[in-house]
Amino acid sequence: MKLGAVREALILIALACLPAIGQGFYFRDKVSWESPIPASELVTVDQAKAWGDGAVWVDARPDDDFSKDHVPGAFSLNEDRWNELLQQFLPKWSPDKKVVVYCSAQSCNTAREVAKRLRDEAQLKDVFVLKGGWEEWLKKNR
Amino acid sequence: MKFAWRILDLIVGGVFVYAGVLKVLDPVQFGIDIDNYKALPWFISVRLAFYLPWLEILCGLVLIFRFLYRGGLSILSALTLIFICATIAAKARGLDITCGCFGHASQHWSFPQHMAIDLAIFFALAALLCTELIRGARYDQKS
Repeated sequence: MKLGAVREALILIALACLPAIGQGFYFRDKVSWESPIPASELVTVDQAKAWGDGAVWVDARPDDDFSKDHVPGAFSLNEDRWNELLQQFLPKWSPDKKVVVYCSAQSCNTAREVAKRLRDEAQLKDVFVLKGGWEEWLKKNR
Repeated sequence: MKFAWRILDLIVGGVFVYAGVLKVLDPVQFGIDIDNYKALPWFISVRLAFYLPWLEILCGLVLIFRFLYRGGLSILSALTLIFICATIAAKARGLDITCGCFGHASQHWSFPQHMAIDLAIFFALAALLCTELIRGARYDQKS
């Protein structure tokens, strides 16, 4: 009996689950399942605040959002004016300080991208992304 | 003519096996590529990144060995169509995406290059599917 296309497709869809589950199991500790940012690169508002002067805050949101409001003492560093803002930011940074990058919310990607560029291009160490972003900071501080 | 369709099967099947293997080797990067489309939350993107490459490989092999053939063709056609729509939607939303379809080789492809390859694959799949359906209908008429 010849199987219909739909039934054949369902068999293939089910079969592909087997190696996928196996690979997922193998990678279970190497992948961040809940966030694209590994847990080791995330920091909560409370943790970052506890670092006090040992932390430099970086606002990865667009200029307009930064000018409306931002974490006190934060530097604006977004991808729209990367080269210009990076030159202004680097003199304020020192190797003993941790960098905390945030964007608008948990769902935004710009903080992750700015943090990656700071690590890869500016060769900075101890760069973290703020969990929950600006929204979370507001909740904890307003 | 049958020989030409068989060659097309092998080429398209081989392309999907190759693309799938590249993604299987680096599922995290593929997850980031899916996430860049900003269409799905991360927890879905990362799970798809582990699943879709195996589905591609399996369906590619189906085309090469002609087993569960119609099912494989249907899945690959649907996947390619979804991918084309997602790419166009991402472009319309101004997202600068890396498709990651063929690993590093496709990293610097422009949007028109992506579209040309995707549409060529889609039309090849559609042609194979139509041929198979016509062949099936003829077989049913005879029997």
